[in-house]
Amino acid sequence: MSTSLSVAATPSKTSHKSDSAAKSSTMSAVQRRNRWMMFFFILPMLVVFLAIVIIPSLQSIQLSFTDYDGISPTYNYVGVDNYHEIITSGRFWNAVKNTLILGIGSAFIINVISLVMALLLDRIHHFSGFFRTIVYLPSLVSAFIASTIWKYMLNYNFGAVNSILKKAGLEGWVHDWLGDSHIVVWVLLFLICFTLGGNTTLIYLSNLQSVPQELVEAAEVDGASGWQVFRHVTWPMLAGSVTVNFTLSLIGGWVIFDQIQVLTGGGPGFVSETMAFFIYRLGFGEYRAGFGSAAAVLLFIIVMITTVITNKYMRGREIQA
Amino acid sequence: MSASIAAAKSVNSKPAKAKKQKEPWKVSEIVCMVVTAILFCIVAYPVFYAFLQSFRSYSEITIDPMGMPTHYNLDNYVRLFQETDFLAATMNTVIITVVTLAILCVILPMAAYGVERIGGKLSGFFYLLFIAGLMIPFQVRMIPLVRMFDMMGLYSTLAAVILVHLGGAAGFGILLYCSFIKGVPIEVEEAASIDGAGKLRTFWQVVFPMLLPVTSAFIITNALTFWNDFFIPLVMLDSTSAGTINVAINRMVGLLTSQWELIYTGAIISLIPSIIIFAAFQRYFIKGMAVGAVKG
Repeated sequence: MSTSLSVAATPSKTSHKSDSAAKSSTMSAVQRRNRWMMFFFILPMLVVFLAIVIIPSLQSIQLSFTDYDGISPTYNYVGVDNYHEIITSGRFWNAVKNTLILGIGSAFIINVISLVMALLLDRIHHFSGFFRTIVYLPSLVSAFIASTIWKYMLNYNFGAVNSILKKAGLEGWVHDWLGDSHIVVWVLLFLICFTLGGNTTLIYLSNLQSVPQELVEAAEVDGASGWQVFRHVTWPMLAGSVTVNFTLSLIGGWVIFDQIQVLTGGGPGFVSETMAFFIYRLGFGEYRAGFGSAAAVLLFIIVMITTVITNKYMRGREIQA
Repeated sequence: MSASIAAAKSVNSKPAKAKKQKEPWKVSEIVCMVVTAILFCIVAYPVFYAFLQSFRSYSEITIDPMGMPTHYNLDNYVRLFQETDFLAATMNTVIITVVTLAILCVILPMAAYGVERIGGKLSGFFYLLFIAGLMIPFQVRMIPLVRMFDMMGLYSTLAAVILVHLGGAAGFGILLYCSFIKGVPIEVEEAASIDGAGKLRTFWQVVFPMLLPVTSAFIITNALTFWNDFFIPLVMLDSTSAGTINVAINRMVGLLTSQWELIYTGAIISLIPSIIIFAAFQRYFIKGMAVGAVKG
C-alpha cells in the first residue's frame, strides 16, 4: 500500500518553456480540456465511492454522538455519552479481546500455514499444477458455508466430531464445543485457521520461486544446513510478500463476522462476540445504532492504526533485509 | 535494457525447461506430495462430509452421523427447490454478481485511467482517496448506509446490495488497475490522438484492450467475493426479499431446525458455481492473484 505514494510524484509535462506565449497558452488549453476529460472518466466511480464509502463513514462519526435507534427518523445529540459508556462496558472490552485473539492469532497462524504449504509446493516438481490446484481448492469454500457445515459437525448430540470421538473411545474428550464458554473462542480460532491458505499460499509460492537459485546453491556449497538456508537466504527474500500477506490477513482478521454469526451468535451470553459482531448486534438487533456507531468509529481507528504500524514496521524490515 | 533482460530470461528458461523434463524423482519430493495430499484431505473433509450427507435423510443422519449414504439420488436437491424459495435466492445471487461485475468493468478501468492520466497533484489525491477505502471496513459504515437506503426507498432491494459492492470494490480495483496502467506506454495513446481519435475512443479502442489481462484477474477474484458474500446481503436484505443463497441458508438454519439434509444440500449447491469459475479460469487464478497482490 505504501508504494502507492510514488504515483503522486509522476511529473506533469512542463517542457514547453521555450515555446512562444501564444502557443503555450493553446497547449495549456488543450491540457486543461484533457484534464476535464480525465475528470469525467473518474466521475462515475467517484460518485459511487463517495456515496457508499466516504460519506457514510463520516455520518458514522456524526451518529456516534447521538442516541439514534436505527428506526425512528429523529435522534438527539448526547455528546460523548456513547463513548463513555463503551469504554466502561465489560462487553465491549471482551469483544476487543476476542477480536485481538481471533484477528492477530488467525493472521499469524494462517501465514505460518501458508508459508509451510508454499515451501511444500516449491519442492514438488512433478504434477505441480495438480498440487497447486488441490491446495487452492479449499479456499473456494466461503467462510459462511464452511461455518454452516461445522455448526452441524460440532453439534453435541448428532455431530460428526463427537460421534468420531465416542467411536474412538475418547468419551472424555466429548465437549459441547460451541456452548462451553471456556473453550468457545479457541474453537473459533481453530475453525478460522482450518485452511491451506489459498491466495496467501500462492503469493508466498510466487515469491519463493523468484528467489535466485544461485544464492541457495552458494549457501549450500558453503555448508549451510537446510534451516540455515531458509533463515538467512530465503526468509529475508520473502519480506515483501510477508508484509502484503500479513497486512491483508490482519485487515480481514479485524472484521471477522460470518463465523461468529453462524456458529455461536456471539454466545454463550456475550462470550464470543467480536467487534464486527458487536456493532451488528447493537445496530440491528438491539436498536442502539448511535451506540453501535461509536463502536464502529473505534473499530476504524484500531484498523487504521494497526495497518499503518504493521506496514511501517514490516517495510522497515524489508529495507534492512 | 528491458530487451536484454527479456533475452536473458528466455535464455535462462530454456535449460530450466529441459531440466524439468528429465528431473528425477527424489524421496523428499514424494514425501512433500504425500504430506500435501493428506493436508488437503483433512481440510476438505467437512465438504466431503456435507456432500455425502446431502444424499441421506434426517433420521439417517441423526441415528448414525458417520454413516455412508445407502442410495444416491437427487431427492434432497429437488426438495430444496420445491420446499423453499431457494430458486429465487439463487437468481438473486446470480443477478447481484453479474450486474456488479458488468458495471465495475466499465467504470473502474475508466476511473483508474483517469486517475493515472489526470496528472500532477490530482493523481496522487484521487489515488490516495480511493486507497483509503481499503481501510474502511463495511462494519464502520453500515448503519448510515441502511439509513440512507431506507430514506431512498432502496432498502431490501438488490440495487442496495449492488451499490454497496460497487463502492467496496473501488479501493482494491483502483490499486490493481493503476499498477497495471503505469506499464501502458503513453506514446500509443498520443499516436491515436494524433490520428484524430477522441479521448473516449482512444481509451476504449486502444487502452482498454491492453487491460484485458488485469480485467480478467479482477473479474475472477471478485466474482467469488460477491458470490460468497454473506454479511452485506444479510444487512441489506430483510425478509421481504428471498435473499441470496447464503442468506437463504442462514434463514433455513433458524427455521428448518430438523432438516439438516437440506442445509448440507444448499451448502453443496452454493459451491458448484465457485468450482466451475475456478475450473474455467484456473490459469488466471494462480497467476493473476499473485501478480496483483505482490505489486500492491
